[in-house]
Amino acid sequence: MINGSSKILFIMAGLLVSVLLFQLSLSEAAIKFRYMTSIYADDKGLGLKQPEGVACSGESLLIVADTGNGRLLRYSIKDGAIEVDTVEIKVDQLSYPIKTEINSTGEIYIFDRKLRSIVRLSPAGEFRGYLQPVGLPSPTAYVPRSFTIDRNDSIHILDILSERVLILDPGGRYVRQIKFPDEYGFFSDVAVDFRGTVLLIDGVDGKVFSAGKNSASFSPLSSSLKEYVRFPASLTTDDRGRIYLVDRNGASIIILGQDGSFLGRQSGMGWKEGSLNYPTQMCINKKGEIFVADTNNSRVQIFLMVE
Amino acid sequence: MKIKGIHSRYVTLFSLCLMSFLAFAALAHAKNEFKLKLGAKGQICLKCHETFQKTLKSRFVHPLLKKGECIGCHVPHTSSHKGLLKADKAKLCYNCHKEVLPENARSSHEVVVEGSCETCHDSHGSNNRFILSKSGNKLCLDCHKDMSADVRNVKFKHKSLEEGKGCLNCHDPHASAKSNFLLERDAPSLCLKCHKTNKPSFAKKHMNYPVTAADCTSCHNPHGSNKRGVIYDVAHAAVTEGRCTECHQKPTSLETKKKTTQLCRDCHQDMVDQTFNKNRVHWPVLDKVGCVNCHDPHATKEQKLLKGSIVNVCGKCHADTVQLQEWSIKNAIDDKLCEPVKKGNCIACHSPHAADNVLLISEQDISIDLCGRCHEWETHSTHPIGEKFIDIRDKNLSLTCLSCHWACGTGNNPAMLTFSATRELCIQCHVERIK
Repeated sequence: MINGSSKILFIMAGLLVSVLLFQLSLSEAAIKFRYMTSIYADDKGLGLKQPEGVACSGESLLIVADTGNGRLLRYSIKDGAIEVDTVEIKVDQLSYPIKTEINSTGEIYIFDRKLRSIVRLSPAGEFRGYLQPVGLPSPTAYVPRSFTIDRNDSIHILDILSERVLILDPGGRYVRQIKFPDEYGFFSDVAVDFRGTVLLIDGVDGKVFSAGKNSASFSPLSSSLKEYVRFPASLTTDDRGRIYLVDRNGASIIILGQDGSFLGRQSGMGWKEGSLNYPTQMCINKKGEIFVADTNNSRVQIFLMVE
Repeated sequence: MKIKGIHSRYVTLFSLCLMSFLAFAALAHAKNEFKLKLGAKGQICLKCHETFQKTLKSRFVHPLLKKGECIGCHVPHTSSHKGLLKADKAKLCYNCHKEVLPENARSSHEVVVEGSCETCHDSHGSNNRFILSKSGNKLCLDCHKDMSADVRNVKFKHKSLEEGKGCLNCHDPHASAKSNFLLERDAPSLCLKCHKTNKPSFAKKHMNYPVTAADCTSCHNPHGSNKRGVIYDVAHAAVTEGRCTECHQKPTSLETKKKTTQLCRDCHQDMVDQTFNKNRVHWPVLDKVGCVNCHDPHATKEQKLLKGSIVNVCGKCHADTVQLQEWSIKNAIDDKLCEPVKKGNCIACHSPHAADNVLLISEQDISIDLCGRCHEWETHSTHPIGEKFIDIRDKNLSLTCLSCHWACGTGNNPAMLTFSATRELCIQCHVERIK
């Protein structure tokens, strides 16, 4: 039915399609956020007030730092809907919660901006103490600006006083430190990707810095991103190492590749659902659902990542 | 053979003469291929352009004009550039004067970068050196008017500004490869050209502190001031009263007794404690540099010892917001731009040290209370605002000023509205209007 030359043409076309598909798999696929829903209140109807922190764990756990109300809220989310009753976590030792993280055992860590301390809570929300780093080298004084917890539960503290990232073991004992680079504007957040690379975001200069797993210094991962971003306040990464910058003044999320290249910008300034106003932190769960603390809209918005 | 030999010598001589003549003729022809009249490169121009006869009598004349070579800069017949210039005015001078703008200049005069050389120079001639249009400091101060008032009115003047080359004693008028502000070089090296540090009086005046390597302009105003010793008008009391040891170790070094905000807290305890007791401390207050991020510990021109104007100090980090503010001023389409935005007075709304609210807003309510300080509501608008009125776009928000306006500026939107067209804004909530 098919003659010789047609066969050759078919084989060549097949090869071409294979090459194109291979190229496509190597390049970063376009990512979009599809709006799912928003969280406005606890189960008693008390509205969120300028929440600044969100932490995700597994496929359904979400902790919200309801900053303006001085409390945490625990939600169980399934397919964009709240599954069971919301749990309010309010402890006397926590007054102004902002950045929130959960470690692999379910412990909740919250940065209290007023106290400038990191508070540890049990998975059930009981106060376990303030994080007190043990065995810090000189200078022992530190002021945390932010923190993060990596896959091994090591704690990384962004110390703006002594210009370094302190790395502590899960028990809070000092392991090592990475000094800030010589030239920078102001670091507002720290994150660790799936390979153990420590990332810093310089909100003033709009640059991302990185330090490899055992590296002793930071180097620029990206040049200035000011073309795309106004004032990035926090950053997080996904399982593929993509970097997400929360642009507070620009009211959007900026997506970067592993190498710091610009991949896209999602959402924008507004009040309607799907738009953001002064967002502060975001997290991504295992299902690829994205939670954004939409601070000045006093809500948490949930998006689904679509590639 | 002899005759033959003589003949051949004549032939050679004749050939040489002929070749020389032809070469000379060719050269002459090449030199005047357009059969120009004598003086056509400039002298003839002066027959019609008589005013330049007067210019030629100036003390300083541009060398090309002096040589009568108008065609050095002008094309005699037609040109795409005004004044029959050979090239764009902004580029023409650089054809010969490349050296005025070094490649790696640390600072450069805006008019030089723009190629507006005629701002300072008369391109043909003048009675001032370097064919400058005006003489002495007048040339600089006629543009730098703020500086002019400062320089003229100060009680204590900096001598070098009044003697010798005036402004040019310290500044290079074109560009500086070595320093900012067109300075010939950085302080203290520049200052030490005139000021001797090995005199006992120098040490005494500086309380024996080793300041010879310090930046003199951190305390002294090089353009003069109303304080003795040309110390900036706004000076830290500890400086003017010679209480250096309150902050610094003994005069063996310039080290401070404590670091960052802790040092300032020793005297400004109430203010620092109040700051630290707020929900949100402005992060730079807490970093390695602390108060000195924004304030100068010694002396400045600005109130509250700020390192610059408020908008410049804030803009050091918040360039994006200041850019919006500047854009709003430049593109304002009505006169409804908020006064603090117009004036770059960020602290009219934000508390620069700390506050309990997001965006370091001092008032509990981010907009109604805050805006109400200047605006009387019911006289301004009849649109309902306040806690009772929920924003239908977001049930956790009540209607406030910021539901419609944006306080730091919105470019060329009317009345600082968040949308460029009023209809676009209103139909956000009044959906029925779309139908």
